[in-house]
Amino acid sequence: MLKVDRIRADFPILSRQVHGKPLVFLDSAASSQKPLAVLEAMERAYRECYANVHRGVYTLSEEATCSYEEARDKVASFINARVREEIVFTRNTTESINLVAYSWGRSNIGPGDRILLTEMEHHSNLVPWQLLAQEKGAELVYLPITDDGFLQMDRLDELLDERVRLVAFTMMSNVLGTITPAKELVERAHAVGAVVLVDGAQGVPHLPVDVQELGCDFLAFSGHKMCGPSGIGVLYGREELLEAMPPFLSGGDMIRRVEFHRATWNDLPWKFEAGTPAIVEGIGLGAAVDYLEGFGMEAIAAHERETVTYAMERLSALPGMQIVGPPARARGGVVAFSFRGIHPHDLAHLLDLEGVAVRAGHHCAQPLHARLGLTATTRASFYLYNSPDEADRLAEALEKAARALGKEA
Amino acid sequence: MEDLYREHILDHYAHPRNWGRLENPDIVADADDPSCGDQVHIEIALDSTGRVEQVAFEGEGCMISMASTSLFTEYIKGRSLEELAALTEEEVLTLLDAPVGPSRRRCALTPLVALRAGLQRLKG
Repeated sequence: MLKVDRIRADFPILSRQVHGKPLVFLDSAASSQKPLAVLEAMERAYRECYANVHRGVYTLSEEATCSYEEARDKVASFINARVREEIVFTRNTTESINLVAYSWGRSNIGPGDRILLTEMEHHSNLVPWQLLAQEKGAELVYLPITDDGFLQMDRLDELLDERVRLVAFTMMSNVLGTITPAKELVERAHAVGAVVLVDGAQGVPHLPVDVQELGCDFLAFSGHKMCGPSGIGVLYGREELLEAMPPFLSGGDMIRRVEFHRATWNDLPWKFEAGTPAIVEGIGLGAAVDYLEGFGMEAIAAHERETVTYAMERLSALPGMQIVGPPARARGGVVAFSFRGIHPHDLAHLLDLEGVAVRAGHHCAQPLHARLGLTATTRASFYLYNSPDEADRLAEALEKAARALGKEA
Repeated sequence: MEDLYREHILDHYAHPRNWGRLENPDIVADADDPSCGDQVHIEIALDSTGRVEQVAFEGEGCMISMASTSLFTEYIKGRSLEELAALTEEEVLTLLDAPVGPSRRRCALTPLVALRAGLQRLKG
């Protein structure tokens, strides 16, 4: 188990109070909190070596460029990319997926082609493909889930054929917490010649990820869910694919030469980074990677597994508690539930009064909620700085909220 | 217990006033928020002078949206179409008689959103 007390001391916000109660932050699946190491790296960048990156011939610009590009190396090594050119900085997971949908998708998907998704996808790994399919006359097909939140892998054979040009799936559901058999999915998709995009928004911050071992063609993730700042995300793409793809956003920095009527493109990865990038956010992400690697992703994943196992035991013991998704052994640090018929908004509101921050709603997975027969759920998500005590605080606050609303068991 | 979940709000949620449907409504008003699943259906019958004679609603949603709609149906009885059209957000928020923070404002305003859609349909 990680030394949670020591970790919590790294996160200034975790010592604050909300409504007079110590904050219990259980919404890291939406966005995580930031350690001092990240805050200080960003402040240092602004205070000491800030200037626009690339092409500057003065010291400040060279230093800023160096820090920004160093962050790319850190990210490349974090997910074990073969070369740094495979790491494109974007705003977030959503933008990374859109980059692929527009650039790769518009030049590789045609009428009658199929895109295979799963029923547990976040809107960000669903709507870009809907738009692409509508535009190109392609078809979306879905790998269904079981009632307890596993992918129905035995349905893959009938769904995967040569018509499938792209398979896009999440590494970990942001609602069910299910960790998907990513490697098997990649292998099965490649066997029919499909390209594979993995949505790592939940996976990369919480699990060890090695893109070479996984074998995926694209991996999208966000900085802000992994202790880094908002405004910076990553698209990993296999070099051959990125090389062959046309630009997505265009303008400054992504060009080699511009004439009045034509332009040529910069090398990877800058071909996909138009305009002034999120310089300091990139540096912050580099610091976040260092911070997480200080513990090791194996240790973080193990800690979350233990915490979520305890939380699920504790919550399941409450009468009227219905947790969605698989058993703790098959999931990351996410627990979404319904409780005694109380609307998630009411519940989240009353939990907030106890200092407990959870998320209420469909968590950007409306089709999944429809499949589960629910409109909305309440979701608690755990990260390296959460302790089992906080699961107790959550359970106590739930009981108190139910009493306040006259919904005693 | 926090101010927002006051006794009268819990009471309106547990015992909504004017629950149900009307025989011949003049105005049918719906609000539907797919993001939180709140759904409200309000039916209004006018008297010969064009004032609200009967009102009924059905719906599903959080305590704040349901209690607010229940209070709202009480509030609009006897009002003319012009008065309905002139209802403001602040007026509706006042009905709850409790502090509605920014995150719950949308819940509380559900009946007004429905009514405005219903009035629009009447005009159209």
